[in-house]
Amino acid sequence: MAGRGKPGGRIGSVQISQELVVIAISVILFAVFSATLNNFLSQGNVIAILKNVSILGTLAVGMGFIVVGRGIDLTMVAVMVVGVAFSIWVSSWGVDFTLAVICGALLAAAIGLFTGIMVAVAEIPPIFATLAIASSVYGSGRIVFASDVLYAPPNIAWLKFVGNGSVFGIPMSVVMFACVAALMAFFLRKTRFGRLVYATGDNPNAARTTGLPTRPIIVTQYVISALIAFTAGIIMTGLVTGIDTRLYNSSLIYDVLLVVVLGGIGLSGGQGGVRNVIAGTILVGILTNGMTILNFSYTSQNLIKSVILLSALAIDAIINPRDEQTSQSGDI
Amino acid sequence: MSDANIIELRAATKAFSRIPAFKNVDFDLHRGEIHALLGENGAGKSTLTKVMAGVFKLTEGKLLFDGKEVSFATPAEALRAGIAMVFQETNLVPAMTVAQNLYLGEEKMFNRLRGLHIQARQFLAGMGFQVDPTAQVSTLGAAHKQMVEIARAVHHKARVIIFDEPTATLTPEEKRHFFNLLQRLVKEGIAIIFITHALEEALAVANRITVMRDGEIVASGDAKGFTRASIVQAMVGRTLTETLHGDVKRSARPYGDKVLSVENLSCAGLVRNSSFSVFSGQVTGMFGLVGAGRTEMAKVVAGLLKRNIFHGGEIRLLGKSVRYRVPRPAVRDGIVYVTEDRKVDGFFETMTAGENLQIGELTDKSNPVAMVSMARAKELAKEWGERLRLKQISDRAKMIELSGGNQQKVVIAKSLIQQPKLVIFDEPTRGVDVGAIVEIHQLISELADQGMAVVVISSYLPEILAVSDRILVVKRGRVVEEMMLSDASEERVMFAAVH
Repeated sequence: MAGRGKPGGRIGSVQISQELVVIAISVILFAVFSATLNNFLSQGNVIAILKNVSILGTLAVGMGFIVVGRGIDLTMVAVMVVGVAFSIWVSSWGVDFTLAVICGALLAAAIGLFTGIMVAVAEIPPIFATLAIASSVYGSGRIVFASDVLYAPPNIAWLKFVGNGSVFGIPMSVVMFACVAALMAFFLRKTRFGRLVYATGDNPNAARTTGLPTRPIIVTQYVISALIAFTAGIIMTGLVTGIDTRLYNSSLIYDVLLVVVLGGIGLSGGQGGVRNVIAGTILVGILTNGMTILNFSYTSQNLIKSVILLSALAIDAIINPRDEQTSQSGDI
Repeated sequence: MSDANIIELRAATKAFSRIPAFKNVDFDLHRGEIHALLGENGAGKSTLTKVMAGVFKLTEGKLLFDGKEVSFATPAEALRAGIAMVFQETNLVPAMTVAQNLYLGEEKMFNRLRGLHIQARQFLAGMGFQVDPTAQVSTLGAAHKQMVEIARAVHHKARVIIFDEPTATLTPEEKRHFFNLLQRLVKEGIAIIFITHALEEALAVANRITVMRDGEIVASGDAKGFTRASIVQAMVGRTLTETLHGDVKRSARPYGDKVLSVENLSCAGLVRNSSFSVFSGQVTGMFGLVGAGRTEMAKVVAGLLKRNIFHGGEIRLLGKSVRYRVPRPAVRDGIVYVTEDRKVDGFFETMTAGENLQIGELTDKSNPVAMVSMARAKELAKEWGERLRLKQISDRAKMIELSGGNQQKVVIAKSLIQQPKLVIFDEPTRGVDVGAIVEIHQLISELADQGMAVVVISSYLPEILAVSDRILVVKRGRVVEEMMLSDASEERVMFAAVH
């Protein structure tokens, strides 16, 4: 019977999974950069790597969650920038910032709800639904907000803590990423909902036939990923005291996908977990940091990352082949 | 090899992962004859012809075409050699015109559509086909699509054309036209194989008839030598399957409560004004040929059909009128459907057997953040493993690594965990090894003995007769006959299904 085999082969008693390969490559890259680059191994740089990847990693946790359920969420960056910008915009009327942030979170959740309904009920393939929703969300935001860059009000104690604070010497942004990841790991592995997400991602038809509430599951997933995107936006606002909505036009969403696919969450759904996201995040973080120290231009960095993404997708397609049924369903 | 034969199969066997679709078959196709291939679903007819058309390769034995041993790697290769196959689902490109389809794959660098249309018009007229070459294929009816396929086969200078159930979708008028066409093709020296379920057609049109059963040829010869009765006899009379299903005479279980009653149900063109009932403590067998609408009836009842193609009728579960749009409420109310194609919507392939069973258990709990323990999955695997004699390889084996029989047992167990009142088994033993078939049949009997209402849908007659207490025969989207086990015989059921 044709189908997905075990990812990778075996050497001795060790199962060679993509996750292990990624971790091995990370270690090698880390060693090479440490040996060849002057400032790479400094404590400051290691913390910088972690800070830089905290936003990417948080987004990737949300994306990974969606991909496990055999979807894809291209709205994340749009939701992130527009949600936070909305909060700042609301606070500019004199509303308390914390309350404004709650409003932003509600907006993000509403967008997630809408996306989820489009995917689960209207049954638009997620890649198209989220692509279209992402640009409408960003477009609406650009019309409403006067400028590209919105700055958070100064003197918000908790926001400063998110940006500059630390717990036991670990930057708060990294702690938040860790919390989101830990919560997601718990959610996916230990709760009923997590099992149902895996089941729906593994075989949506079987999930439906078995009597699982597949539509509510999918809608909830997109709401949660939108809220995670919003959280990533708050971390970013804390770090750089504002939000640049033009981030939507950057390659960030592709970096997020890169992390997820590189980490080994199969796009065919039902496989992988938070551990894979963390492995992917670390690799991309080290790679980006090293390339920046080496003074690669933004364009050539993107070129390298896109080549890696393409290879990762090709490898994913080979070790997690989609069968005839799934390839006809039209999603990614 | 005599000169009279254009195709010969000698001691041919085709096996799919060691399960033979047909074995040790000898088959001859004479030049310029119409050869009808008959048999029940799963008898191996389609596979046999697909070997000739290059879709599959023989596992053992020889295929001779025009006296030379051949082995086609692809259908295109067979077509080049002169063997064309017209499939049940036509292989035309719907968005292109008739002419474009006709000359598909022969496009020149600069394709002149008008020239193509003129060429096609002459070609079609030469064959006496009244098809507009400029018409888009998606706008054509079944009969016209078939004409285009035939024209394409003739255009490729096919010397053998194989039809897989060509008349299933045709109106009587179109059928007559189709048969005239066959005669004309034969006059041009083309040999024809056609697979059919309609015995009258075979008797009326074919020069020779071959009947297959359980992957073997059981009768073959001049069409004049056959009668309806002898064909039906050849199709159903079996020795191997009787020992498999046990021909012990048993008495039917009595009627229990009326669990399900369906009245005047209609659904798209698939179910037409059908009525039937299902009782508890009894196995209701549903027999019909493929495409008769059995599965669709079950799927409407269990809320599985997507979108709104419900055209009226009433479904009552324990006297209460119900209409399910998704399977979830049906499962909650106690109707479960065990799928005919477990890979498509039966199991979760990357999970273990235990995890699959656990998903079944999780469906009726409403708290989404309730904790789920992995130990429970193992416990379920152990409990049901013993009950269903599941030959598990290990706790950690994924579903995809299990045998067909074990997979099917897990799918069944996943449904039984949901504590149903009515279980609908659709082809419960498809792709299952012999030992597991017997066990699954025993399980079905036990469920009925325990007072559950059980429906078994099957296109395999011995299975229906082995497990059912009451048999419903389905034809063209409707339950056409109902009989108790004591009145049923293979001949009678088959007669009702094909007439």
